[in-house]
Amino acid sequence: MNAKVSATIAVIITGAVLLYGVADFPDFGDPTSPANAGVEGGAPSASLHFINESYKETKVPNLVTSVLADYRGYDTMFETVVIFAAGLAIFVILRNLRSDDPLPEPLPATEDRFIDGDHQRIIVGTTCRIAIPLVQIFALYVVAHGHHSPGGGFQGGVMLGASFILVALGGNLRDALARLGEDTFMRLASLGILIYAAFGLVPQFLGRNFLDYGVLEKIFLTDGPEMARSHSMLGVEVGVALTVMSIMFAIFANLSSRGEMRGGL
Amino acid sequence: MIFSLLGGLLIVAGLVFFFGAALGLLRFPDFYSRMHAAGKGDTLSSLLVVIGFALHELHDFSSFTHDWPTILVILKLSAIVVFIFLTSPTSTSALMDAGWEDGVEPVIEPGRPNVLRDDTEAR
Amino acid sequence: MILSLNIVLLVFLVVAAVISLGVKDLLSGSMVLGIYGFLICLLWAEMGAVDVAFTEAAVGAGVSTVLFVATILNTKRRSTD
Repeated sequence: MNAKVSATIAVIITGAVLLYGVADFPDFGDPTSPANAGVEGGAPSASLHFINESYKETKVPNLVTSVLADYRGYDTMFETVVIFAAGLAIFVILRNLRSDDPLPEPLPATEDRFIDGDHQRIIVGTTCRIAIPLVQIFALYVVAHGHHSPGGGFQGGVMLGASFILVALGGNLRDALARLGEDTFMRLASLGILIYAAFGLVPQFLGRNFLDYGVLEKIFLTDGPEMARSHSMLGVEVGVALTVMSIMFAIFANLSSRGEMRGGL
Repeated sequence: MIFSLLGGLLIVAGLVFFFGAALGLLRFPDFYSRMHAAGKGDTLSSLLVVIGFALHELHDFSSFTHDWPTILVILKLSAIVVFIFLTSPTSTSALMDAGWEDGVEPVIEPGRPNVLRDDTEAR
Repeated sequence: MILSLNIVLLVFLVVAAVISLGVKDLLSGSMVLGIYGFLICLLWAEMGAVDVAFTEAAVGAGVSTVLFVATILNTKRRSTD
């Protein structure tokens, strides 16, 4: 009770300070605020630069994607690394298969595991069979079309991971693991980050800064640095999607089976 | 004009069914009849509302021939209708089954047989 | 940006947050947290931040609810405080 009272007081004080700070904010969407118009005689506005120049510099219509994957590439790269580290942490804490334990029997990739069993599994399994391919196609569209419409690597990766989670929920965790095995998804998670890092390191070997995609025009053989930046963003998004998909599924598989990865849920 | 009117009618009908679903969720006696009201009412009213949106988006008959952005919007809304029609009854069914396996007893009029229990024991 | 819709959504948001903290049943709490995720997704979409809304719908409302449920099934369902 005492802890609750002190926690409430701390929350109220923090909230009051935050609300006091909000009072100094410019209005929502205020065009004359420093973030939108820049400081007079000082720094120019970053927002204006992105809004006016990002299409000319990167040929990517969705400026959120161009900011996330190009202008702020470091940030997105290490966000992906944070997700990878979270997956590794869950793995280290929960995965409890000792090296002297007998290995679980190999998982057979049966085709009709969804349909056998009682009538309830028939209903749920049939719906999953229809829904999962559509979810995966839409996820691939979200990854590949992140330049032009809302979406990108994180969203598409989460949806791909959710489709495998749906296999586990509609059928069995063993079915999902037979389709995307444990060693496969851990390798895919590492591969995603390596793809991202490669897009950062190759420009360095070509004599530019880390993650400076424009110089990749020599490799992609595009018309100019703009299209090279656009293509590199697509590659980076694919890497992010691979990592996020694998880590989401890894977290679910570990949590739902208490780290045994044999069955459960 | 006619499409807007029709779409508005469908949206209002969907809202009526939503109201019925919410009322049933509050007023019915046990888990199963509540899920019945929620699942059926929710599916039907979502379908009606989204089809109403699609009709409302069509302004007149000429939209069919050369207003491609509108047709694209209508196709997307139709896809949403198909997904709701697939997934919403399935989730209701799965929830009902989970409740039965968890031992939730239905409220049954005295003198009537519990058909669900006989069905389970026969399997 | 529609002010009245914003106010309604924000009121529901606060109610959902308070309920998710208050309930003893952790499964109900995580469900209400999913509702919170969808509400904040609506709020962001309505303010024009479609990318953020998309992420919130996929991560905050979708996958994290599943992860919460998976965790609760393997631990305790009742909260002690």
